[in-house]
Amino acid sequence: MSSSFTPDKQTRSILAGIDTEYGFTIEGRDVTNQADDSMAFVRHSPDEGLLMWDYQSENPRRDMRGFQVNHLTFDAQDAEFDGGRSRPPAAEERSDRALPNGARFYNDHGHPEYATPESWSLADLVAHEQLGDQVVLNAARALSQKLNREVQVYKNNTDFHGASWGTHESYLTPRKHEFNDLARAIIPMLIARQVLTGAGKVGSESKGPVKFQITQRADFFVEPMNVETLSRRPVFNTRDEPHADSSKWRRLHVISGDSNMHPGCTRRKVGLVKLALILLDQDRVPQWEIPDPVTSFQLVSRDAVGEGRVELEARSWTTPRQILESYCDAADHAEIADPEILELLSETRTLLEARHSNPDNFWPHVDWAAKLWLLNQFADSEGQWEQSAMQALDLQYHLLDREDGLYYGLSSAGLLCGNDVHPSAHGLPPNGSRAVARAAFIQNFPEQIETLSWGQIRLKSGESITLDPSLWYEQGLLDVESIEELTRRLSQ
Amino acid sequence: MIYADRKQAPMPSEPQRKLGDDGGPSKPDIERPTAPNELLKRMKNIDPDQAKKYRQRSGQ
Repeated sequence: MSSSFTPDKQTRSILAGIDTEYGFTIEGRDVTNQADDSMAFVRHSPDEGLLMWDYQSENPRRDMRGFQVNHLTFDAQDAEFDGGRSRPPAAEERSDRALPNGARFYNDHGHPEYATPESWSLADLVAHEQLGDQVVLNAARALSQKLNREVQVYKNNTDFHGASWGTHESYLTPRKHEFNDLARAIIPMLIARQVLTGAGKVGSESKGPVKFQITQRADFFVEPMNVETLSRRPVFNTRDEPHADSSKWRRLHVISGDSNMHPGCTRRKVGLVKLALILLDQDRVPQWEIPDPVTSFQLVSRDAVGEGRVELEARSWTTPRQILESYCDAADHAEIADPEILELLSETRTLLEARHSNPDNFWPHVDWAAKLWLLNQFADSEGQWEQSAMQALDLQYHLLDREDGLYYGLSSAGLLCGNDVHPSAHGLPPNGSRAVARAAFIQNFPEQIETLSWGQIRLKSGESITLDPSLWYEQGLLDVESIEELTRRLSQ
Repeated sequence: MIYADRKQAPMPSEPQRKLGDDGGPSKPDIERPTAPNELLKRMKNIDPDQAKKYRQRSGQ
């Protein structure tokens, strides 16, 4: 599976994953039914999977800054929708599926959610993220058939009425890094990368009207950093839930990215954060002091025409391009073995140069720019840009339907670039990650599993296997024929 | 520690642009390629009110 363009045991850099919440509609149903409908949606999944997940080790209330909040804030509008609704037990509500590729499919806060298996390589991660679209579509079709109603799935992050849901990235990060150093390495990157990774949005849901902006999520960030995800969302999320030995590891939990239709954007989105983490590890992070990350994030998002503006200390400012180039320049002095990151550096510089000097070489690579290009083409043909109709087309860009979705229309017309997907996902977990071990149990010994989580598998025999995320797991584990042998190999 | 070769400009007395006061994007300065007619026709048939009807719960 690995090639000279994907990292191997020696050149791997940072383990990463993506979890995506999907929007959906069911003919004749509305948002007040969504909590129950999402549960039914996941439960109709026809894909093979174990109906279990172990939450015992999970605690989303722990904050990286060394404390724990008493509770997480919930969305007031959702609380209104839920008035009088009796909630089923948590496990029933979640309706977890542990999938044979090491992924997880479940219901989260009224959205079907697919979490990729952990991946060392960007190519594997993108392939498994795309596989998630298919898992969700399969469930939608099964539910549609059962109800005899149309079910539509949208891979986006906003309903244009003030509700947002997430696409989160997770990065395994050593605990040795000080929190402030981690935040200073990552926040400038999160603000700047959106010019190469945003999914684009017609209009705004806060802060005054705008015709088009670069990201779906910028409207929803109100604090520079905190542990919340459902309300009062931050640019930098401080959730401290490593899904691994917490004395050694953090999990950097990035919530400010968009859902991307374009696989090249997904690859770039994760690769750029990996780059920042590699530089942090080598003490080569460019130093940017951004006093107001929320406003800077929103200013960049709202400037689809210019370079964007990031305000710095002492009444000075810079641009997303200069920030991204500073990370690339710092990488020139770092030791980087991961071939995907080296490729990313070259691509980043090329796209930054092309954005204004040669837009034809930019928009086919970037979701927001491709969407804007298409909408402008339509506006030209109609003789006007009508905002609500453009929002309808924006939504259609994210429709997961190869016949009717506008992203797929651009793709099938051959107008996009860099959207090829590594074909490794089908049936195989990501090369070398601990998902290989999880998949080996799920595929070959499902009846002997009591329960499992990201970092642990508990067997009905009473044995418990802890999966160290930093190790390299050979694909040969998938071929082991006895559970005793598999357990023995993982205990070595 | 490497310090980036930052290019900073002094802040003008009045910000060049405030949130929400721009006129929005203009079309990219390009003539080609163009969207296929079939795709434009498909776009014309999309319910212009579908985003107005699209309501979701907040997630994470």
